[in-house]
Amino acid sequence: MKKLKQLKRNYEEIDIPTELEDVVHASIRQAKRKKRPMIQYWMLSVAAAASLFIGSINLSPQMAQAMMNIPVLGSIVEVLTVHRITVTEDDYHADLNVPEIQGLKNEELQSALNEQYLEENKALFQQFKHEMAEIKAQGSGHFGVNTIYEVKTDTPQIFSIARYEILTSASSSTTLKYDTIDKEREVLITLPSLFKDDRYIEVISSYIAKEMKRQMDLDQTTSYFLNEDFTDDFKQIKPDQNFYITANHKLVISFDQYEVAPGYMGVVKFEIPSELLTDLLVNDFYIH
Amino acid sequence: MTKKEKFKLVEAFIIENREAHYRLAYSYVKNKETALDIVQDSIVKALNSIDKLDEITYLKTWFYRIIVNTAIDFIRKHQRISLMEDEILDFYLPNSVDQITDFDLQEAIDQLPPTYKTLIILRFFEDLKIDEIAEVTGLNVNTTKTRLYRALKILRIEVGEDFL
Repeated sequence: MKKLKQLKRNYEEIDIPTELEDVVHASIRQAKRKKRPMIQYWMLSVAAAASLFIGSINLSPQMAQAMMNIPVLGSIVEVLTVHRITVTEDDYHADLNVPEIQGLKNEELQSALNEQYLEENKALFQQFKHEMAEIKAQGSGHFGVNTIYEVKTDTPQIFSIARYEILTSASSSTTLKYDTIDKEREVLITLPSLFKDDRYIEVISSYIAKEMKRQMDLDQTTSYFLNEDFTDDFKQIKPDQNFYITANHKLVISFDQYEVAPGYMGVVKFEIPSELLTDLLVNDFYIH
Repeated sequence: MTKKEKFKLVEAFIIENREAHYRLAYSYVKNKETALDIVQDSIVKALNSIDKLDEITYLKTWFYRIIVNTAIDFIRKHQRISLMEDEILDFYLPNSVDQITDFDLQEAIDQLPPTYKTLIILRFFEDLKIDEIAEVTGLNVNTTKTRLYRALKILRIEVGEDFL
């Protein structure tokens, strides 16, 4: 028992890192953020070649910068940064890059998308100001917001843009959203619009669940929310789940960080084998 | 109690007891960054599943359970990494006899299967009562007692008869 007492003293003397307080407050904010409906503001029923990734840990500002500099050559549709909001204080920073799509003849679609991108960034900036005030009221802390975008697919037929939103406090979180545009017909492609009826939800979900299990069996470090005590298991995709279409005509389903896996897994994506979808698709124009 | 009040209460509890929660997480993973990750994941899980906490009197054991499970889950998934770190640790540890003795017991505890280790930490380091430990682990009281006894027995075998 004497030795156990010594071990208990050692246990009580475990160093408390200075970051702990920040981590705790940031985690609470993160949990609250998840609950807030405001995060839904970009869940418009638009779909197709644009995506928003929010908060990728692996994405350095340099890389983000480099991605933005990639010219969209050989396509009529272009995406440019038209607005940039930056705030730099010691503990708080914001760098919001608002994309604008140009070159679509369907001006209604074009301005709807561009307005959406601007509104999202405006809302995010409001959230940034709100959280900054909240953190300042609590004493100390730090908080950062960063949005960037990336062209995922640009073929003569399809244009996909991904938008990332990166929130950083003690930890970071990533959300993403894609828009996919049919460049020939100049329409936005939504996930439901690809399929004859809603059987796709069941087919894609069961493929993903199987794939999650396969990956977890294969690699011990891979983890998804399946058979866990405290989080709801992955059951099925949302009808308007995030997606994009690759240049190889494959459908990729994407989940935000924390949506179906622990935080360390980041944003997770699943490419759906086209043969599973053949019978469900309206046509094989986009996906085959 | 409204859901909002409940959330506030849990939030306050999390802030107030953050150091104990960090120590508990750290005692499993022995690494600052990982322990902070576990605290973070536990807080997010807890606040998002607040509906599953039926009675606020169980708040402490409910939250401990989330931390313990998150930590064990992490160890299970990163077993290779944590074993290697132990070897490195072994190599660099000081040679003084007293410390080695303490370390041996510490190491013996660390080498217990995580479910047994949990019982030792909660009983002797966190001073939880047997029925509280049963709530954390989800075992019944008798099983908890039996397993705690078995854990002590394993340790005694490893560290010598003078232990108990």
